[in-house]
Amino acid sequence: MSANGAPKFREDILQEISNAPGVSGGEEAIRSILAEYARENVDSLEVDPMGSLVARIDPAPARPRAGAKSGRGSRNGGRRGPHVMLCAHMDEVGLMVTAVEKEGRLRFRRVGGIDPRILPGQVFRIGAEGIRGVVGALPPHLTPRAERDKVTPADDLYLDIGARSREEAEERVPVGTYAVFDTTYEAWGTTRKGKAFDDRAGCAVLASLIQRRPPVPVTAVWSVQEEVGLRGAAAAARRVQPDLAIVLEGTASGESPGAPPDEQYPFMGKGPALTVHDRTLMVHARLLDRIEETAKRHKVPTQWKRPGVGGTDAGRIAISGAGVPSAVVSVVCRYIHAPAAFLDVRDAQRTVTLIWHTLETLRKEWP
Amino acid sequence: MVSNVGRTSAEWLRYITSLPGVPGQEEAVARELLKAFGSVADRVEQDRMGSVYAWIQGDGKPPRPRALLAAHMDKIGFLVRAVEPGGYLRVTEVGGFDSRTLPGKEVLVHSSPPMVAVFATRPPHLQKKGEADRPIQLEDLYLDTGRPEREVKRKAPVGTMVTLRQSPIELLGDRLAAPGMDDRAGVVVMLRALELLASKRPSWDVVAVATVEEEFGAVCLGARTAAENLSPDLGIAIDVSHGDMPGAREGDTVPLGSGPALSIGGNIHPVVLEGLKRSAKALSMPYRVEPCPTGSGTDAMDIQISSSGVPTAVIGIPCRYMHTGVETVEPRDVDRCAHLLAHYLSELSPEWRAVEVLK
Repeated sequence: MSANGAPKFREDILQEISNAPGVSGGEEAIRSILAEYARENVDSLEVDPMGSLVARIDPAPARPRAGAKSGRGSRNGGRRGPHVMLCAHMDEVGLMVTAVEKEGRLRFRRVGGIDPRILPGQVFRIGAEGIRGVVGALPPHLTPRAERDKVTPADDLYLDIGARSREEAEERVPVGTYAVFDTTYEAWGTTRKGKAFDDRAGCAVLASLIQRRPPVPVTAVWSVQEEVGLRGAAAAARRVQPDLAIVLEGTASGESPGAPPDEQYPFMGKGPALTVHDRTLMVHARLLDRIEETAKRHKVPTQWKRPGVGGTDAGRIAISGAGVPSAVVSVVCRYIHAPAAFLDVRDAQRTVTLIWHTLETLRKEWP
Repeated sequence: MVSNVGRTSAEWLRYITSLPGVPGQEEAVARELLKAFGSVADRVEQDRMGSVYAWIQGDGKPPRPRALLAAHMDKIGFLVRAVEPGGYLRVTEVGGFDSRTLPGKEVLVHSSPPMVAVFATRPPHLQKKGEADRPIQLEDLYLDTGRPEREVKRKAPVGTMVTLRQSPIELLGDRLAAPGMDDRAGVVVMLRALELLASKRPSWDVVAVATVEEEFGAVCLGARTAAENLSPDLGIAIDVSHGDMPGAREGDTVPLGSGPALSIGGNIHPVVLEGLKRSAKALSMPYRVEPCPTGSGTDAMDIQISSSGVPTAVIGIPCRYMHTGVETVEPRDVDRCAHLLAHYLSELSPEWRAVEVLK
């Protein structure tokens, strides 16, 4: 896929952060990988009090004109364009160990929206050490017929790490340890398989965008705690105080055999999905128009995200301070919030391309 | 070929569980087992149904009595049932899964070359009210390979084998979790036992059979046909027993690490059971007695009623979470089962027969 004048999508970053663990509230591993990548490219780099990673990168200085003021902070005449916050969340859904039983089994609670029906028989990587644990399930031979027609509540499930006693288990896995799906990134065709594409896809798109000095002043925010109530971005937006914001997401595909056609979209592989509205946000109409026009001009295929479902950091950013015009652009993923998600790597490049050219048009004119 | 001699039980388990082989499609695992048993047995062969026989010749005077060991090499899995528009695969199961353990699981579709796929899930964002309260049935599940419909149709016609894709997981205490411990762990017990018997010859001939189609359900086909072929004087099945798990009644399970589980019940010949217990005691080995009131549910069921009746016993390897992708065993139990089996067989008197002549 040609980058069409935009920076190239960094699949290596996606692979690294998809494989690394980062449940909401425990994003350190993701943050340190992204900070390492961002360090060389940005003008300033901070971790805010909640743990979000905030990077500021200014456009290349314009060729000095006679009589023009120069230097950072000179925003007169609007030549530098609006200050844009680009945001993607680092956290993923997972588990937290809440108790260690005397037989050495671990009880857990879910962090973020995980369907309890996908847990029995699943494998998790626990803590920074990545100790393996399996979610036990009673064999069908021993399960009464009536039980098989019921969903096992998550509270009745446990992780088995092979420990024989509470002491042995606690030594390796103290209460409060996070656990992530045990999934390894893989590629075939243009399909990519991995965990946490919601929103490591957005994180990697954002990291790709700041490889070069952008057309407008950009603050890149890799936020924390999106999956537990859009919390990191709320604080970050107040700190950044942008003129407008674009949130980069990995969103859910609607594809499913047998589903009615009006529920089948968006599709993996058919370009970035644009949000009109979701449970948290009415997308700023003029900003959305601008993104659409840019897509048409640069021949980037786009599609609509299904209106009314889901919610993103943009919902919080839009209502911070005096209000921030905000939009959401997403890489469509199948099977998010489950162990193994799919995305089409062409969609990731298209998203980088679309956002890059959108920033170019914003430099020329905004609002 | 890598030398098989000196492999530990854990190494064998990792290797043997990784091989595919749903009931009726055991060819690939059979090929590997012919090699594996070839390195420890006097002779290996494959019968017309596909079961693999490995012979250890006894040092008694011919004609020697014959002991049949059986562990099934098939493992539960799926077959492609239909390719849906969009390239999604519907499957039918071979062997009994609880469909509630499948959503989100990765599988291998055994096309050539194999394709990775996942059992699709619907994220909570898109679910309808109340949807999460209903368990997901196999009919609702489908596989996504992330490949175009055309390619999927070409590579994965109806009947293509599908198996859970899960590399062995090392847990604390050297425990290992993988799909297919049922009954590849039993195959490993036979491999280890033959290794021991090759250097400490029994008076009996021993034929270890890696059987086909135990999980098919209607009949333990491989065990029945092997028993008819071999007319053994004794049959011992090695299979997994339910390990200790929350939610299971006491008496239905044996704890991991507690050694072999020796079945008791109508499927078990009492003299053979006593002999196994004596061997365990001689080896100072822990064991449990596992009550099987209506049958053992193993190859021993069919061996017992083959030809004119065969005395049978079952050695069980404790295994948690049977028929899921995380069947968990302790390699130490596998070692113990192998040592017990080898000891019992090498102590068998050349004269012993199960038929009692009373007059």
